[in-house]
Amino acid sequence: MVVYSFYIFDRHAECIYKRRWLPRPVSTSGSKSSRPTSEASAPATSAPVLLGQSARTTDDDAKLIFGTVFSLRNMVRKLGGEDDNFVTYKTSQYKLHYYETPTNIKFVMLTDIKSPSMRVALQQIYINLYVEYVVKNPLSPVEHPGGVGVNNELFEESLEQFVVRVRSCHYQGSF
Amino acid sequence: MTVFSLIIINKAGGLIYQREFQPGLRKLSTNDYLVLAGTFHGVHAITRTITPKLPLLTPTATASTPTSASSNLASPSGTSTPIPPTTTTTTTTTTSVAATTYTYPIPGVPATGLESLETDKFRLTCFQTLTGTKFLLFTDPHMANIEVVMKKIYEFYADFVMKNPFYQLEMPVRCEAFDRNMNGWLRGRT
Repeated sequence: MVVYSFYIFDRHAECIYKRRWLPRPVSTSGSKSSRPTSEASAPATSAPVLLGQSARTTDDDAKLIFGTVFSLRNMVRKLGGEDDNFVTYKTSQYKLHYYETPTNIKFVMLTDIKSPSMRVALQQIYINLYVEYVVKNPLSPVEHPGGVGVNNELFEESLEQFVVRVRSCHYQGSF
Repeated sequence: MTVFSLIIINKAGGLIYQREFQPGLRKLSTNDYLVLAGTFHGVHAITRTITPKLPLLTPTATASTPTSASSNLASPSGTSTPIPPTTTTTTTTTTSVAATTYTYPIPGVPATGLESLETDKFRLTCFQTLTGTKFLLFTDPHMANIEVVMKKIYEFYADFVMKNPFYQLEMPVRCEAFDRNMNGWLRGRT
């Protein structure tokens, strides 16, 4: 399974953390070229040329994703009742996983279509990484405007490890 | 197998058909259904545009040769939506990055909008016809063979709505035969 990107939105609809994992360029021949490398783009670093998107930056992407997730969530609540939750959606190219905490922090992950449900994984990221390294950090502010406080090394490092572990775990599980 | 309801949205995002088969979802007012159809139409388009694009960096050999954008691949199973190019080539004069191209995660497959959405209580399956009409089927999350139901409903739509000489295109569907046949078929499956 492949993880394309990961976003955290706070209750003010602001993207407080985003990260993308990009596969290495396909043309470079190498045995491990399909292994995705990580490209941290935590606070407002956009490299549109490298990302192959000249028209839209990563910031715009985050806004579009928030809008999508927000609309779908409201739609699902209208139809299924207040306790219903939208878990995932799938297109022909990718799958989007969604988890919302009781405090309205939204965790979104984009993966390939063959990946299993990542709801538990997102929950684990919240409980074991976000709460431990961001919320319990005495220097971290209560709100995170512009991603302040979220982009600390401990959180980023362990998120990286977590995603790598989840990825390899599902590799072994599926074969 | 449980099919909760069916919604048909025309290519402009207007609600043209809404029907409940089995209880399970909350009932909305007609106005809310219209809003839902419009919202879904918009979200569907956005989910297609946020498809991840994977960079495809070519070696720097072709530094300043102007390359033309490769033509769209003719897709056999194309949708009515314009198929985005699988690869785009930009001409740059810099030597470091000669041509930045991107590819979708599954090359050769046109990017579509939302196809299925799962929640705790239901599953929404969206089928977009070649002409842009969207069929939204709300079912039980564990139901199998939704495609079969969807194809059959599309068949009923073709037979009893499109072949109805009094039906006006893009207008609300009021065809008694469509309702009757669909009801009978769905009842026969349960």
